[in-house]
Amino acid sequence: MELINNMAEEQNSEVGIISFVNKHSFKIFITTSIIISFIIVNISMFLYYGSGAAQLDLSRPGYQDVRDKIEVDDGEFYDYPDSGPMNDTVIDDFKVLYEKYVRKVKLIDAFGGDPLSPKELGIIPTTE
Amino acid sequence: MKVSKILVFICSMSIVFVGGILLIKASAQENNITNQQIEIIRGNCTSIKNILRQLRASDALLRVNRGQTYESISTKLMNGFNSRVSNNNFNNSNFVSITKNFNQALNTFRSSYKIYEENLSSVINIDCSKNPEMFYNSVVEARDKRNRVHANIIILNQYVYQYQSILNKFEKDYKPAINGVN
Repeated sequence: MELINNMAEEQNSEVGIISFVNKHSFKIFITTSIIISFIIVNISMFLYYGSGAAQLDLSRPGYQDVRDKIEVDDGEFYDYPDSGPMNDTVIDDFKVLYEKYVRKVKLIDAFGGDPLSPKELGIIPTTE
Repeated sequence: MKVSKILVFICSMSIVFVGGILLIKASAQENNITNQQIEIIRGNCTSIKNILRQLRASDALLRVNRGQTYESISTKLMNGFNSRVSNNNFNNSNFVSITKNFNQALNTFRSSYKIYEENLSSVINIDCSKNPEMFYNSVVEARDKRNRVHANIIILNQYVYQYQSILNKFEKDYKPAINGVN
């Protein structure tokens, strides 16, 4: 008798859940969508900042001035073919191509200087 | 005997204690900020932050352009030439070794720039009119991180030059062999 009562209760609760879902299906759909999108956005933001992509993203606010100064590949620097013969001309051509890159690297002392020094920032230390 | 042991223990403990205090003092002096500087930071908070924002933008541009150049050197030139040397049955171990070191240094450069950028961004987010000391200390930290990025650039450039000298050596050493083959 107890078993039958339990089964009846379970059935009632199932019917209750189903009827609740049917009654509020639109609200449940909206809530679930918001929760899922919230989770996905969080995962994306985590990957965006964690992978270092954020540091390369110059479309962020505050980078408008420098955005158009990105060096665009104009085809001058092509993929060096890994197949083909090896002779004086090949080595000379490669040396010329490589020299172009070396000149590019030498051109600016990247991250050199000391722009974060108190002097550069105008926070000049003086003795009291 | 027991007393001398206790004395030695007390002496060594006091040396450690005094040494610790001196170390703390020394590190505090490194980031020492005067009252005058605190006032300067408070007064020029907005302009200092503008300088930092400009630096962050120009450094980001530098990171993108320089990163692109190094990436191209590795993928477009080094990899291609290394394979070509190998495909023609010449020893490319020196080239491969430098390329491997170069790629490792490139990864270090990427991560050290990321740390620097995050540091600088957090400095910009500090309210320097309310917390000038915290702001100053964070600037000192960001300065150190930027110097590390510069050190990575120097290492990468060294590998670029090393590859070039290996190339010259290859040309010199293998010229007779190349001419013999072709």
